[in-house]
Amino acid sequence: MTGPRPLPGRSLQARLTVFYATGIFLAGIVVLAIVTIPLAGIQSTIPAHSPAPAAITGTGDGIGPHQLLVGSAVALVVLIPIAVGGGWFVAGRFLRPLRAITATAKAISAGNLDQRLDLGEPVDELTELGHILDDLFARLEASFNAQRHFVANASHELRTPLAGLRTLLEVTLADPDADTGTLRSACEEALTLGEHQERLVQALLALATSERGVTRWDTLDLAQVVTGVLVSRRDPATQKGINLAEHLTPAVTAGDPRLIESLVANLIDNAIRHNHPDGHIHVTTQTSGAHVVLTVTNSGPVVPEDQLQRLFQPFQRLSPGRNNHAGHGLGLAIVNAVTQAHHATLTTTARSQGGLTVTVRFAPRLPPYRRDVTQGMRRSIAPHQNQQVKTHADGHRPTPHQAQTE
Amino acid sequence: MRVLVVEDFEVLARSIGTGLRREGMAVDVALDGTAAYDRLAVTRYDVVILDRDLPGVHGDEICRQLADNRCASRVLMLTASDTIEDRVHGLGLGADDYLPKPFAFAELVARVRALARRAVPPLPPTLVCGDITLDPARRLVFRAGRRLELSPKEFALLECLLAAPGLVISAEELLERVWDEAADPFTSAVKHTVHRLRAKLGDPSVIETVREGGYRIGSP
Repeated sequence: MTGPRPLPGRSLQARLTVFYATGIFLAGIVVLAIVTIPLAGIQSTIPAHSPAPAAITGTGDGIGPHQLLVGSAVALVVLIPIAVGGGWFVAGRFLRPLRAITATAKAISAGNLDQRLDLGEPVDELTELGHILDDLFARLEASFNAQRHFVANASHELRTPLAGLRTLLEVTLADPDADTGTLRSACEEALTLGEHQERLVQALLALATSERGVTRWDTLDLAQVVTGVLVSRRDPATQKGINLAEHLTPAVTAGDPRLIESLVANLIDNAIRHNHPDGHIHVTTQTSGAHVVLTVTNSGPVVPEDQLQRLFQPFQRLSPGRNNHAGHGLGLAIVNAVTQAHHATLTTTARSQGGLTVTVRFAPRLPPYRRDVTQGMRRSIAPHQNQQVKTHADGHRPTPHQAQTE
Repeated sequence: MRVLVVEDFEVLARSIGTGLRREGMAVDVALDGTAAYDRLAVTRYDVVILDRDLPGVHGDEICRQLADNRCASRVLMLTASDTIEDRVHGLGLGADDYLPKPFAFAELVARVRALARRAVPPLPPTLVCGDITLDPARRLVFRAGRRLELSPKEFALLECLLAAPGLVISAEELLERVWDEAADPFTSAVKHTVHRLRAKLGDPSVIETVREGGYRIGSP
């Protein structure tokens, strides 16, 4: 907050009034001029020595041009306050909805994002502005709510293991009879909790990075990325008795290699984590028409159709509860964010026999000139991202185990 | 004192349980809302330590029901969200106290004890009967100025009897309040602990056995 601003007052209404009154006043003068100038001419056309025979017309002396001029001048002077008053009233009437918009908008910006302007009839330029502002407030509210929800969830996910770690250590240290075995097992548990926290922070970072958007467009082959990721995933899969099969054909596209690797790693980790013992995972990459397609199919628990969308929101899991073996509920959110950053399409189907089929369809590889154009545009739009583009270009290619997974 | 810990993060739940048991409390642990309901239905707890974000039944719902049923259990809410709105909301649901995570274990113990003091009728911080003085917070017992060394169970049993001076407390109730659910209901643990407690308290004997009733400290 920058402190109270000086009130705008009614300067617009005053200006409109002055404008209106001046207009009327000028119109009056013009009318007067139009009337008076011909009259001045008439005066000279009356022949000298033959005064108008008033008796003939029977209209009396009449009023002369001079009297007419004075009368009009008085009328003009009287017109000024009437014009100012009328102008003030009319301007006030038309500005009333605008004042309502200002007052409500002020209240809304003070923190009541749930308020709306709700301008009714008549439909005019101002009500249209009101509707546009209402839409804007609705979107802002939704986005703030999502943000608040995310922060609350993140703080919950971070604080609970911290509380666990602290209590574990405090209780163990306070035990006067603690022997080496007790201390050792407490330390091992503390380490596991630490690793859990580390993975969570990494996943949060990966999500933040992917939501920032793509900072470099490199040509890459999805088949190679998948092969790289699978190297470090075979052992965990084998330990759980999961059959990990792949069918990889060249699928060349453009994108940020780190983000795409994170997408692939999270999809496969998710498929391993939410699977049956003796289940299976099938990964395919292929070029289908103009598109490049990655598909991961896995067995696992049955996912209700109405829960599918929820799973791609941060911190949403199919089964509630936290423990060290389940994920943090960020894996599919990262997949979703990376997909959106690459303007790819994500299709998820819940298999009737259990498990999921996730398909990511990338746009075809952009021709080199298009990529240059895209990068040029990015540079001109966001000069601060220049640095990142450069660092990435100078930097190393990510190795499979560096992929940030949930 | 009988305490129920409802918390879905297993390491935290287990550590709280271990720590509180060492403080002489009888602690049960529930890892989700449904298990908490089952335990609350059969046992009268003095204090319930309740995590808010629980799988199964939400912590808020459990808290609301406890308050609606005018349950004698005092509720200490544990939660990761510590904004003022959250605290106000939690206390508005009927919680007696609120502790944001992460917390110091010593504070948790102090708050649980403070809640237990708010039993009906309220208990003083130090329990006194005749020449026996028991300080629950510092875990000290004196008889005629002489300090006694009691085991956690003996201490908790004496605390239970001193909290109701002159009233007869049955062996079943002592078993429920001092031992946790792992105790065998047909055990003679109460009898043996009373026996040892009497020996440590010395003469004249203060714990009176009421036939077909239970035990009593102080004149009826």
